[in-house]
Amino acid sequence: MSMISVKHLCKAYPNITPLKDINCEIERGEVISIIGPSGTGKSTLLRCINCLEHPTKGEIYVDGQNILAAGVDLNKVRQKMGMVFQQFNLFAHLMIIENVMLGATDLLGKTRQEAYDHGMELLESVGMAEKAFAYPDELSGGQKQRVAIARTLSMNPEIILFDEPTSALDPTMVGEVVSVIRSLKEKGMTMMIVTHEMKFARDISTRIFYMDQGLIYEDGTPEQIFGNPQKERTRIFIKQLKPYHADIKSQKFDFLGINSEIAQFMHKNLVPEHFRDASQRLFEELFMQCVLPHLPATFSAALDLGWSDRNLLLEFALRYDGPAYNPLTDTNNDELALLLVRKTAPELKHRYENGMNYLEVTLKTETK
Amino acid sequence: MKITKTQAGQTITYVVSGRLDTVTAPDLGKEIDAVTPDIKELVLDFDGLEYISSAGIRTVLTAQKKMNKQGVLKLRHVCPAVLDVFELTGFADILTIEK
Repeated sequence: MSMISVKHLCKAYPNITPLKDINCEIERGEVISIIGPSGTGKSTLLRCINCLEHPTKGEIYVDGQNILAAGVDLNKVRQKMGMVFQQFNLFAHLMIIENVMLGATDLLGKTRQEAYDHGMELLESVGMAEKAFAYPDELSGGQKQRVAIARTLSMNPEIILFDEPTSALDPTMVGEVVSVIRSLKEKGMTMMIVTHEMKFARDISTRIFYMDQGLIYEDGTPEQIFGNPQKERTRIFIKQLKPYHADIKSQKFDFLGINSEIAQFMHKNLVPEHFRDASQRLFEELFMQCVLPHLPATFSAALDLGWSDRNLLLEFALRYDGPAYNPLTDTNNDELALLLVRKTAPELKHRYENGMNYLEVTLKTETK
Repeated sequence: MKITKTQAGQTITYVVSGRLDTVTAPDLGKEIDAVTPDIKELVLDFDGLEYISSAGIRTVLTAQKKMNKQGVLKLRHVCPAVLDVFELTGFADILTIEK
């Protein structure tokens, strides 16, 4: 039985639906990093799992118990799940050790001595024992976050949910918090971590959820997600590309409109002109001249461009449904069009997967 | 794309600006079809032409073929992006491109 099982979870607000249909299973000992663009429901998912938000629809099972069912003792459920927040949420009027003891005395019914002893052990484990009698205001951000982790551990949770634990920290302090989380992994703690630290996510996780469009858009090992993402939006995010996307559905699509959008996209992102010309040329020669005549009246196709100003490269991807068709090897195609394609993008590759054709290439600065 | 035609004796000049692509090339193609056999010099002035596709190149090649029989074709004011395309395809060598 999975430790946590989420089925068809939906969370809708009046103007926005951050979670549309979330399904996942979390096993004991897993470390799952949740990554994705801002506003895609990563934190909302954690807050739903911890019952800080009530989902609009769906089910969440913790150790087989539906925690959204009527009559469930939420405090009992939450005791299994610790949560660490971006802003630490320490009580400013309590000393560090008192912050750590509070849950154990008030909710677990431990004596003050037991809570103190355990609290000091935990502060020791996160390197904060020396500051036990200080107040939160005397601590740096990294130190506060380590205390917040110790406080969470004081409740003996079975899983810890981290909501961007390093986002509010000065970059110099990220390391100390990361090393505490790393030591928890070594002890076998189950963790779900919403993070924007890609290197951290890659290093520490056993599994990555890439969230986008209200879904767990892609789920895989760090090697898969960072090394060989299968889906377009994941790839664009991982490679930090600025995206352009156009859907094409019929023979009468707006060719001029798409060309003009490509030009606007390039202009807005200060992309060198030869990339614009190369993209428009590939789109016209490949799609208009070679692929479109082979498609039926209506179909599903898309053009995706991704610009990386860090690496000065442009990813070009065309996809279209239907039977496998590689225009690059079809000798009936317009010779001149194919010549221009080959000269513009010698490394252009065709692949066919799950009923979808893909033509993809990365254009680099030397592209004419 | 915008095409402006001027004629001086047996010379016709088309000033072509914008984009010469799948959508617009047929318009220039019609103009070239209409060039009569008495014309000895056809000038395609690409001042303001930003982009040319295979369809545009084919139109230029059609003009070249036609003028081979009756006179000369000259390309003028070809911008670097368009010249790149002629060079990529190898047609820069067979066309008269005035610098």
